[in-house]
Amino acid sequence: MLTMTEVKKIFRTDLVETHALRDFNLQVDEGEFVAVTGPSGSGKTTFLNIAGLLETFEGGKYELDGQDVSRLNDKKRSQLRNEKIGFIFQSFNLIPDLNLFDNVDVPLRYRGFKGAERKKRIEESLELVGLANRMKHLPSQLSGGQQQRVAIARALAGNPRFLLADEPTGNLDSKMALSVLELLKQINDQGTTIVMVTHDQHLATQAKRNIYVRDGRVSELSELTDINEINLHQAANG
Amino acid sequence: MSSNQWEIGPIFRALMRNKVGAILIAIQIAVTMTIVVNSIFIILERATKIERESGIDEINSFYLTTTGFGSNFDPKSTATNDLELIRSTAGVLDAIQINAIPVSGGGWSMSFQTEPGEEKETEGAAIYMVDEHGINALDLEVIAGENFAAGDVRWRPAGVRDWPDNVIITKVLAESLFPDIGYQDVVGKTIYIQQNEPMIVKGIVDKIQAPWVGWDDLEHTVLTPEITEFESNRYYIRAQPGQRDAIMPIIEEALASSNKQRIIRGMRTVQETRERSYRADTAMIKILSTTMIILTIVTGLGIVGLASFSVNRRKKQIGTRRALGASQQAIVRYFMLENFLISTVGVLLGAVLTVGLNMLLVNIFSLNALDWYFVPAGMLVLWLVGQIAVFGPAKKAANIPPALATRTV
Repeated sequence: MLTMTEVKKIFRTDLVETHALRDFNLQVDEGEFVAVTGPSGSGKTTFLNIAGLLETFEGGKYELDGQDVSRLNDKKRSQLRNEKIGFIFQSFNLIPDLNLFDNVDVPLRYRGFKGAERKKRIEESLELVGLANRMKHLPSQLSGGQQQRVAIARALAGNPRFLLADEPTGNLDSKMALSVLELLKQINDQGTTIVMVTHDQHLATQAKRNIYVRDGRVSELSELTDINEINLHQAANG
Repeated sequence: MSSNQWEIGPIFRALMRNKVGAILIAIQIAVTMTIVVNSIFIILERATKIERESGIDEINSFYLTTTGFGSNFDPKSTATNDLELIRSTAGVLDAIQINAIPVSGGGWSMSFQTEPGEEKETEGAAIYMVDEHGINALDLEVIAGENFAAGDVRWRPAGVRDWPDNVIITKVLAESLFPDIGYQDVVGKTIYIQQNEPMIVKGIVDKIQAPWVGWDDLEHTVLTPEITEFESNRYYIRAQPGQRDAIMPIIEEALASSNKQRIIRGMRTVQETRERSYRADTAMIKILSTTMIILTIVTGLGIVGLASFSVNRRKKQIGTRRALGASQQAIVRYFMLENFLISTVGVLLGAVLTVGLNMLLVNIFSLNALDWYFVPAGMLVLWLVGQIAVFGPAKKAANIPPALATRTV
């Protein structure tokens, strides 16, 4: 499903060169639910951005669903993002001026679906997250948990094969976080591959597989020296 | 690109939730369109007015006034000698004494009618008193009948109120006086001046404008075969092509030397006279053009400002759209479409205001009614201005990276 081989990402300024990812290797198979953890600045978000085709990378190879995405132009990357990837953001990233229906409609329009098809998908996905009766509401009229559910509905409406979640419960209280997590597990059970970046150790343990990133690399347990990191790694992988 | 990607509905609904900025820009577009369209209409009307040909050889002609003084000043011999002197000067094509200059703003006019008597329908016309050189000096073409003969020309002392027996009139006046016959057939017809005094139409000229550029019947003109015996006379000189400026001081000097009992004043080219006569129109064109350009630029900048503000305010949203699959082209399209919707409201309101202002101008200043196509043309221009203005900010928006969606700050 997702294969990264020795992927490198360097951020450059006039004075500093930051190696965000160094020879990053990762394979995620279809149907997996992978949690990516690691300390701040470890490269988690860079990995997520590259995995989601939001950023390019300097070296290595990245295959998404069997397709080498290294040399795709912006238009192709946008198209691939739209068709294969669903995004869930920490801050929900709903468009405040649009009601729930129109928010979920955004990626479907870029996909070029006809009106009736879009309506059906929007209703189904909002139904799935339990908000079908509020589709004319604005995001500001919902709680944080409900907004994240809308974001999940938006991510799922296009029926993506791959769901990328960036700290999906980071802005939610524990009860809301649990409900969102349950929803993600339910979605994964239905066959959608999920990669979730999180700081939340408990949340990470709920995934089927846990990846620990440090210094821009996927780290093995033997490389870890910090006891907290070891605990986290062990907890995440049973 | 699929038509499903046009986000008219969501954009419109989003605009409805943030109306103030959009409404202000729409009003600005409407006001701009109202002023620009009416200005262009007035400018074109004025330009058409200025471009009207007077019918004379303006480029090569000039005129001057001589005013005699002293008890023994003889206007008749002065005019005879002056015309002989001017016509014999090298570089002069022809010259005449004339009572008024076309497009100069000052002259004589009389009413003419086709039947004698009171309360008959009349046509007003400017009168130019010229001799048999008039046609050549003014560069007119006799298109029917014939020019005055030397024997037709009479001396006109000051205070005389009667008129010569023959006249030459313009084609336009001939058609106005005798609308039922062709202008050629007007030759030989009798027209009446001062209600009962007959004059026979000896010839028809193609065109010569009256002195008053704002007059509706600008081409209602009559030539009478006369040389005035006034103390103050005006000479109209047509130079050989390219000789005008060279001979002006020569003529002035020659006339001054030939007769010391007069002063020479007001020597001026016809071109200069035309410029003076149309100065108000030219000024109006400049003022309106400047206003129009400034207003359009301000409106354009207003659109740029609103769009830039909108882009800056929605960076995260744009990044999210990009993350959800919007191509750069789709982002540009979004902002162009948003501006198109705002502009549409503006130009629709502008169309109403444009017609309203024009009706007001028609009623108050007796301007002509706007030609219908000015309104859609104005709408098109303002749409275009909006699209051009928003293109820069839209391109800037398209360059917002999709990775912005995952940034928390």
